[in-house]
Amino acid sequence: MVELDHSFANDKPTDYNWEAILDLDRLIPCVQGGRVVERTGDDSAKAEIKVKMGAMSMTFAGTVEVAERDDAAHRAVLRVKSREVGGQGYANADVAFDLADGGGRIHTAAQISGKAASMGEGVVVSVLDGLIKDFTQKLQAI
Amino acid sequence: MAIAPGHYTLGPDDATLTVRTGKAGAASKAGHNLRIEVTSWRATIDVAGDAGQTAMALTADPRSLRVREGHGGMQALGDDDKASIEETIDDEVLEGAGIEFRSRRVAAASDGTLSVEGDLDLAGRSHPVAFDLVAGDGGRVTASARIRQTDWGIKPYSALFGTLKVVDEVDVEIDGTLPA
Repeated sequence: MVELDHSFANDKPTDYNWEAILDLDRLIPCVQGGRVVERTGDDSAKAEIKVKMGAMSMTFAGTVEVAERDDAAHRAVLRVKSREVGGQGYANADVAFDLADGGGRIHTAAQISGKAASMGEGVVVSVLDGLIKDFTQKLQAI
Repeated sequence: MAIAPGHYTLGPDDATLTVRTGKAGAASKAGHNLRIEVTSWRATIDVAGDAGQTAMALTADPRSLRVREGHGGMQALGDDDKASIEETIDDEVLEGAGIEFRSRRVAAASDGTLSVEGDLDLAGRSHPVAFDLVAGDGGRVTASARIRQTDWGIKPYSALFGTLKVVDEVDVEIDGTLPA
């Protein structure tokens, strides 16, 4: 299990950010290589992410759902479950958002197996950290 | 061994022009060290009795780089992967800008090796390079230079949020036989 903490700031009201992070159609494309394949409910979607590794790429396909939400506290947990397309690996994560005025904190707890994990935990942490930092930058303009 | 005075031309029919790149970064395990061949180029060597009058020039098609080999990755490079790298070289690295080298100064060592200094145009910028042109038996000539991409304003390719990078320094080699 890899756990990472990040924050973002976009000077937008909490209600605005709350609505944005729960809108999977807006949120998922903020992850580099991520796209919504199909909406399966108000709080869930089939999605995939393509991670470019130089010439080669890996695609993970699965589901994203709002697993927990506390509207009063502006806290939500998005649960990602995915499998590597054409491979044996999987990538699952609970991404917890804790919003405050003008931004928020993100706690990610991820489990990754297969080819990606075989590069070692240090590499997984570096790549995941880069992915989430890029995600937080996009949240600044969401 | 010294090259006899005369006018020589070299190209893909009599020589190979190779670029070798390395990989770096936390996720370098995922990338490959590449051997890339330039498939369309032409060099002229005008060897004078006085080495000071010797001149060398080379032009190469920036869109003619072909990935011949990749090693050190997690899995072998397929034809699609090689084509993808070539596209990246065309679109993001060399961007189709002309490649040209002109010597400025050539000096001969006692064993006939020519020390060549000149300017290389790459990615729209010119920068000095220096290398030795070594002549061997049967007209064989070899030369190699290590160049730094950033000297030409090229940002070395990176992926995976900067955790997989091409090393700034790349090796360029010529190995061929001067036509008799």
